[in-house]
Amino acid sequence: MNLFTLTIILFLIMDPVGNISSFLGLLKDLPKQKRRRIILREMLIALAAMLAFNFLGEYIFYVLEISDTTVKLASGAILFLVAVKILFPSVDSLRANLPTGEPFITPLAIPLIAGPSLLATIMLFARLEPSQTLMLSAIFIAWLLAVAVLLTGARLQSVIGANGLMACERLMGMVLIMLAIQRFAEGLQQFVKAC
Amino acid sequence: METTSLSIALIYFLVANPIGNSPAILSLVKDYDFDRQKKIIFREAMISLILALFFQFFGELFLGMLKISDYALTLTGGIVLFLVALQMLFHKPEVTEKAKVKQEPFIVPIATPLISGPGLMTMIMVSSREENNNIKITLAILIAWVGVTVILVASPYLQKLIGTRGMAALEQVMGMILGLISMGMIVSGATLFIKTLS
Repeated sequence: MNLFTLTIILFLIMDPVGNISSFLGLLKDLPKQKRRRIILREMLIALAAMLAFNFLGEYIFYVLEISDTTVKLASGAILFLVAVKILFPSVDSLRANLPTGEPFITPLAIPLIAGPSLLATIMLFARLEPSQTLMLSAIFIAWLLAVAVLLTGARLQSVIGANGLMACERLMGMVLIMLAIQRFAEGLQQFVKAC
Repeated sequence: METTSLSIALIYFLVANPIGNSPAILSLVKDYDFDRQKKIIFREAMISLILALFFQFFGELFLGMLKISDYALTLTGGIVLFLVALQMLFHKPEVTEKAKVKQEPFIVPIATPLISGPGLMTMIMVSSREENNNIKITLAILIAWVGVTVILVASPYLQKLIGTRGMAALEQVMGMILGLISMGMIVSGATLFIKTLS
């Protein structure tokens, strides 16, 4: 995997475009300055979680003696499920019933941005990707992009509209599902060759 | 499968599923008067056409950048289509219904994901990747869209004619056909994949 693919995958799972409306909804009562601060703070927490799981992933699979093949198949399956959720949204999704009040860590940082699927994916990729620099830069770039999208969320929404955002999200879901199947197929390939 | 513009157009037409979608679309625009309904539907059909053409040209570029292989693309098409077909056959309460907004529907949910849904976008990317002939695909898209637009714009009449039950039956049939097409795609994707194994 190259930097581009990794970054895209991480960015797509964070799904900042899809999260704009939940962010705006949760923060709508707060003054603008505070809003920015909270978004930044939550994103930093999310980043910390991602980095933690990145390092954790290096070792945990080693300890558990899980092979690359398994990791590939698992990440493919997880990505697939995330993509299906984006493409065919349901009412009982995380976003549908958010708690109220000023958010701290939950629900913005975890699970909306750094959800279980993102953290699992990061762990799996950390195992697959031998180059730590590549992994870290992918995380940072994807994170920066997500921050940019979320900070300009209000303006973005007024320019392309809620519908436009939704359309963007659907397109991203499509890309994600393809990446998922590609990954799963690669896992299968390895599996068959190992037999 | 023989791939002429016409047969590709037929697939697009089936995937865009104007007949199955028209009850959903009609229910989305039912609060507007007859003329306005037709205008909204026409506008949405045009937007979905733009989306389809956009995907035809930029989908390829994107795939190249992400290094997505042929089999993954075909499998994706098959699997997404299969999910859509399942939804059509085993009708749960419309997913798109929940996303319904109070204001006049715009782009979402009619143009996408109802008409130019994930299935269609994948289809277009798959065939433009397979064909490497932009004019042929564009032609197919245009042909399909003539049919789609005509049926959709006529759907307010259609409903009066065959009633809600007729529409439901038609949708089931469309779901079956879609299920077959999707399985065909999964099989050909799997064939491509198995060839890479040896």
